[in-house]
Amino acid sequence: MDILEFLQFPFMQRALIAGILLGVLLASLGIFVTLRRMAFFGEGIAHASLAGIAIAVLAGLNPLPVAIVWSIILAFLIFVLEQKTKLPIDTVIGIFFTSAMALGVVLMNFTTGYQPELMSFLFGSILSVSFADLITIAISTIVIITWLIFSRRQITFLSLSEEQAIVSGVPVRLQTAALYVALAIATVLGVKILGIILVSALLIIPPAISRLHAKSFRSHLILAVLFSEIIIVLGLALSFFFDLPSGATIILVGAFLFLFLLLFSSQ
Amino acid sequence: MHEQSHKINNQHPMIQVKNLSVDYGRQTILSDVSFEIQRGEIVAVIGPNGSGKTTLIRAMLGLIPSNGKVLIDGEPASHIRSQIGYVPQKFQFDKDFPITVKEFLDLPKPHVHKLEHAKKLKEVGLDSSILNESLGSLSGGQLQRVLIAQATIHHPTLLILDEPSTGIDIVGEEQFYNLLKEQRDQHGTTVVLVSHDIAVISNVVDQVICVNKRLVCFGPPKQALTQEKLSELYNKTDTSVYFHHRHY
Repeated sequence: MDILEFLQFPFMQRALIAGILLGVLLASLGIFVTLRRMAFFGEGIAHASLAGIAIAVLAGLNPLPVAIVWSIILAFLIFVLEQKTKLPIDTVIGIFFTSAMALGVVLMNFTTGYQPELMSFLFGSILSVSFADLITIAISTIVIITWLIFSRRQITFLSLSEEQAIVSGVPVRLQTAALYVALAIATVLGVKILGIILVSALLIIPPAISRLHAKSFRSHLILAVLFSEIIIVLGLALSFFFDLPSGATIILVGAFLFLFLLLFSSQ
Repeated sequence: MHEQSHKINNQHPMIQVKNLSVDYGRQTILSDVSFEIQRGEIVAVIGPNGSGKTTLIRAMLGLIPSNGKVLIDGEPASHIRSQIGYVPQKFQFDKDFPITVKEFLDLPKPHVHKLEHAKKLKEVGLDSSILNESLGSLSGGQLQRVLIAQATIHHPTLLILDEPSTGIDIVGEEQFYNLLKEQRDQHGTTVVLVSHDIAVISNVVDQVICVNKRLVCFGPPKQALTQEKLSELYNKTDTSVYFHHRHY
């Protein structure tokens, strides 16, 4: 089979474009996830999105927009509860993660027959990216990346030293809430290809590999996006040629690259 | 326009603190503290460990809830934050995070000219070659100087430093106090610093604020730091131990 043959299939084209967009989005946001040590956030939001997907399936709606709205509400609730109670963020996420996941499981119980949408969200599927999904991913990526370009210094500052950022006039509460919402949207979008169980790995692995080599914030950002794209494109191609689940293949490629470069960097 | 209007507003004292109290649960950290600081003054906050110095600073900046009134340049701190430079007592960060000194200096406000970076680093006793080094690779003293450079690079109207000379050697300390004087003389900056080094600050500052859960004394060092007040502040009878002989 010609190596570029897989690009002739429209579903593969959509998956590849979605993957490239998500690569930029998840890696850029992932830098702040690793800096703020909130890897559990992506994990929690992804699992909690199950309830949103179940609601959409029961109501006969497109699951992706419903899951996005659901995750935005959850991200905002996590932010408010964190601010009001001063509980550690992983505790707050843990409460919502398990509660929303439980709600999702209960709601799924009311669906009848085999639900391909639910299965593709759980494990990710390159077949599942529709044109409407692609448009949603593209618009969300443009909006979030534009916000990030203008806010990256403020987000970095408040992530390094919240008090200094406040005194310098950074709108810390607003930007923190915006970061949580952006992360929630990006995570749910990633679920389409990677699945609920694996999506958070793309928030963590590319920035983690980048950290091994980057000397500046600028190079950290560029390398994270670059590694993310390599992982996604290679993972999608392998999943197509060997008929493997897309999410798992992408993450395994990422893990292999991490280990390989870890050995390389330690030499 | 907003920034200019503040810089020419000379009607108010730079800082007005009136009946400031801070409670943590049922515990009173600070009680009924009042003072005024005029613009262009260098002021030290002194007191024993756990006396509420950092709490006073954080309450002044509006970082923690408090009772009473705090006005900076006639307004709540939250209204003029972009004109305040601040170095906290502890700057704990992920040392493996890849960010250069230059990128760190640019975080509050970007687009600082490269020459300005080099000039500011020189003022705090660092070489400009450090600009491209990772922030996490700096020693404690170097990091402290970078924090001071970041806080002063935009010539703030008010500069607040919480134990700023921690980790800085004696030579660096002299440079540091000269920098404070220069900020005041050239840019009219009002400086408030928390310090333990009474001997040094007595020769540098215009006013001292002595706190130990409440305001023990306030005024020019020679008048405020009497044997009686120091005994009251530190709960000790022999206070000569606080006066070493370093003059900047």
